[in-house]
Amino acid sequence: MFSYALFSGITLGGMYALVAMGLTLQYGVSRIMNLAYGELVIVASFVAFVFMTSVGINPLVGLLIIIPASFVLNWVIYRILLTPLVARAKNRGMLEVDSILATFGLLFIVQGVLLVWFGGNYYSYDFLNNAVDIFGATIAANRLVALGFAVVIGLGFYLILTRTRMGTALRAVAVDPTSARLVAIDVNFASCFAFALGGAMAAVGGVLVSMFLTFSTSMGVVFTMKALIVVIMGGVGNMLGALIAGLILGVAESLVATYIDPGLTIAVTYVIFLLVLLIKPSGLFGRATS
Amino acid sequence: MLDIKNLSVSYGKHAALREVDLTVDRGEIVVMLGANGAGKSSLLKACAGLITPHDGTHIDLSGNELTALSAHKIVETGLALVPEGRGIFGELTVRENLALGAFAKRARAAEKQNLDRVIDLFPKLAERLDQAARTMSGGEQQMVAIGRALMSNPDILLLDEPSLGLSPIMTGELFKALAAIRKTGVGVLLVEQNAHQSLAISDRGYLIENGAITGQDTAKALQSDPAVQKAFLGLGAA
Ligand SMILES: Nc1ncnc2c1ncn2[C@@H]1O[C@H](COP(=O)(O)OP(=O)(O)O)[C@@H](O)[C@H]1O
Ligand SMILES: [Mg+2]
Repeated sequence: MFSYALFSGITLGGMYALVAMGLTLQYGVSRIMNLAYGELVIVASFVAFVFMTSVGINPLVGLLIIIPASFVLNWVIYRILLTPLVARAKNRGMLEVDSILATFGLLFIVQGVLLVWFGGNYYSYDFLNNAVDIFGATIAANRLVALGFAVVIGLGFYLILTRTRMGTALRAVAVDPTSARLVAIDVNFASCFAFALGGAMAAVGGVLVSMFLTFSTSMGVVFTMKALIVVIMGGVGNMLGALIAGLILGVAESLVATYIDPGLTIAVTYVIFLLVLLIKPSGLFGRATS
Repeated sequence: MLDIKNLSVSYGKHAALREVDLTVDRGEIVVMLGANGAGKSSLLKACAGLITPHDGTHIDLSGNELTALSAHKIVETGLALVPEGRGIFGELTVRENLALGAFAKRARAAEKQNLDRVIDLFPKLAERLDQAARTMSGGEQQMVAIGRALMSNPDILLLDEPSLGLSPIMTGELFKALAAIRKTGVGVLLVEQNAHQSLAISDRGYLIENGAITGQDTAKALQSDPAVQKAFLGLGAA
């Protein structure tokens, strides 16, 4: 039972980490605090559901469509909804406040549309539901596959950010947007690109999660909260921090749900979050800055 | 060549630069001397596209009107600015800082040669390539900043008080590097308060006061100009 709980926790934590990576990219590079982030996770879950149940495309193949589609969708959201805010913001602080308000509105629009379409019920679908034995634990194959994809896509994302010219440019914008302009980086383009890439990560998370968890139209907020907690806990803008923080939360929640009470998972999340903030306010891997 | 004509800049109602004319040719070092608040940084920022000058200002670089371009496009025309306070990416490694210097399309083909050139110029950076830039000494950070600017393959290099906070020895090394950069055909516009050392390596100089050019001459002539000696060289007729 322990190895089962541990493995579930790692899978869940991997999802948290993946989803948080996208949020930290949107916040770190584009300076958009995206409160509608979790809604885009859930939209992808529902798209995966429709693909699987109505169109007959399995979620893994569906990723081939959903990743580019969500990239484009988030690109459009940035251009239409956020570019005017960027243009009028006199400084980063102003953009953060404006973007919180704008994406808060977006949250309700997306949630409203989902509600009209799908209602308030919980959804799930059968995909790779056969049991697999690893390390003495019996686990549904879909969890194993979801974890595998999270690892590969998360690693790919990390490599894009650290090993490619565009990825390095995105990190440069996060560190110092003015200096970025001095090395020929188009900061507006980079912000839009980072927002779209972060949105694509949200969608990947939504698809993978839908393979093994039930979901509903109102669950977006939970993902936004968890992603925010993971980002802050790991140290804002820190990919490795997001990974470790995501895994800690996932494993802790899973152990508590297995051995104590499933109703306590949210409480545990906040206790860990508060402990980290009390001991190290800038997050596990964050450096204290001005 | 960089040709600045009629450059005026204001912050709100406050005029920081008034109708400034200035030129920098390839292969020369031009120094601009002026007290704090004279408008030196504003001039460099206007060239680099970080601030918008008044209508009627013309800044020409090899046939490009820079006032019509945004900062990232200006780099592509062959102008690189090493800003006040260096502006390096502290969280990134030295190697990444230098690689970002070559982000400009004009610089990509020659990235490898330019990196070798920068390492030749600043051998100290060779062993520090994988270190986070913020962990280096002030002088080394200035080398990274200049190296990054050179990676963009500029025709004109602008430097805003590069010697600020450096030891005299470090400053000497830095200015020697600038003289070497001039040899490669790059035109250098150097803003300094350190008149003594900067005039020694420069070809020409401008004096700027309260946003206006008050004098210009060869560096040699400026070195022996009594007004310059009084204002900048601490050799006043005391
Ligand atoms: N961002 C700004 N907002 C308002 N005033 C500024 C700003 N930057 C510079 N100034 C003013 O413009 C004048 C010229 O400044 P600057 O170009 O930085 O001079 P220098 O580099 O020669 O010290 C100064 O009076 C300064 O106070
Ligand atoms: Mg200045």
